[in-house]
Amino acid sequence: MSRVKKTVEEQMRTLLTKYTYPPVEVVIPILEKAGRGEEELASQLHEMDMSVLSGIMKILNLKEKNMRTVSKMFGVLLSYYGQKYEPAELSENRFCLSVSDCPMLHVGKNVNTAVKSKFCDVFCSSTAKAMAQLVLGPNSSCSWDKALIKGGRKCTVAFELVKTK
Amino acid sequence: MNRSRKLLIVILLGTSVAALFLAWRNITSPTDFADLKTVLTTTTATFGSLLGIITAGLMFTHGKFSELASELGEKSPDYLSGTLSLEKVQTIGNNLLALRKTFSLLETQTTVEEEKNLYRRVVEKASSMYVDFAVLSDLKLIQQGLAETDLMISGMDPQLYVNYKKERNQVKKEWHILVTIRQMVDTWEGSKTLVLEKYQKRTSLQQDLRNSISLLGLKERLDKNSKHVRAETEEICNELAEDIGKIGKQLHQDRIPQLLSQMENANTIRGKYFYLALAFIATPLFINLLILPQLSIGTATFFQPIISITSSLSVMGIAFLLLYINRILNV
Repeated sequence: MSRVKKTVEEQMRTLLTKYTYPPVEVVIPILEKAGRGEEELASQLHEMDMSVLSGIMKILNLKEKNMRTVSKMFGVLLSYYGQKYEPAELSENRFCLSVSDCPMLHVGKNVNTAVKSKFCDVFCSSTAKAMAQLVLGPNSSCSWDKALIKGGRKCTVAFELVKTK
Repeated sequence: MNRSRKLLIVILLGTSVAALFLAWRNITSPTDFADLKTVLTTTTATFGSLLGIITAGLMFTHGKFSELASELGEKSPDYLSGTLSLEKVQTIGNNLLALRKTFSLLETQTTVEEEKNLYRRVVEKASSMYVDFAVLSDLKLIQQGLAETDLMISGMDPQLYVNYKKERNQVKKEWHILVTIRQMVDTWEGSKTLVLEKYQKRTSLQQDLRNSISLLGLKERLDKNSKHVRAETEEICNELAEDIGKIGKQLHQDRIPQLLSQMENANTIRGKYFYLALAFIATPLFINLLILPQLSIGTATFFQPIISITSSLSVMGIAFLLLYINRILNV
């Protein structure tokens, strides 16, 4: 039992070590100075998210394409990065979680909130897009309230399935 | 500052205030000659008893330290002869030198401070690991009775050589080899001991390298010329991860980091016990040899403040002792 568990852990560690996200606190000043590169960053992030999330699905053998799978994948991902999170809601059509830390908070103080907000969108929309492509399908949406950037204590991320008639 | 340190400071401050208060009270209240003599004799006896207990503590911590040193000393030659082959040491050394060269160049090419800092961290950590490997290489040659080569030293600049000499001089006992290996593994993969504050503050070389590779990947999308740098760095990073990963795995399997950490604790407490013992030897000697033989009514009045403080210090000694007993039980 423990041997199987260890193998999964090792696989997960290898996967997440292989695909390291570019450090936000370094990327933002570089792109801000260059005045370009957001599209390239978005494209790199999307490729990485697709590889990481499909890798997690494969390792954990997650075949069901529903909110429960999304919650498990987020749990693994956030735990690996040592990020504190609380699942707030899980139903058939909605998964909602709150995080108390965000990489944007560790970006230099000289970077203003509007820039942080812009890059928050780049990072979060990439993950949301990959999650929609791999698990939830095109009839899904994802929102994030950016509360931490605005000075709040927790940021809420919500995945929803849009009901079709 | 952790909780136990805060508690220690509060207790020490509290005891100091109490001691000074008692001393002040004794100074202001009239004390007769016989009372002072009794106080001095009792203080001497208290310090003597405490010294006995402190000596026992010192011997206990020293015993624990020696036991751990001997256990680690037995294990260290295996690492030099088995885990670290000469070929491996030199391959890792070459990879670290290549990283140092590449990232020094990258550091000079960027004007963004955050990026500069990232590359500088890589250069510093790669240099530190290179020094560790040069020391290990030297020790390995000595262990195998081979002639010393300056193969790794030739790749050093003057500052690196100074660091190498300093590091080399610190390895005096067999178990010190394991300290160097742990230091090198910690630089690569980050400390895995449960010192969360430290761990969060300091990134590992592996993490810095992966971040840099990811960053170079992004720059590659913006500028095609940087492609070879990323590919080379990634290859070196993977090779290092495999080689050092094996050494680290062996180190953790043998519980070396835990044993070294216990040893460091025992050594610290042993040092504190030593100074405490010195103080507790000196005080009764001071009382017995200098004050008591000359105690007349005149000198009693003269020494009255000192006597009051030393008798209060014996109370502080008990508080110290309780704290150290608590610490030693947690080694």
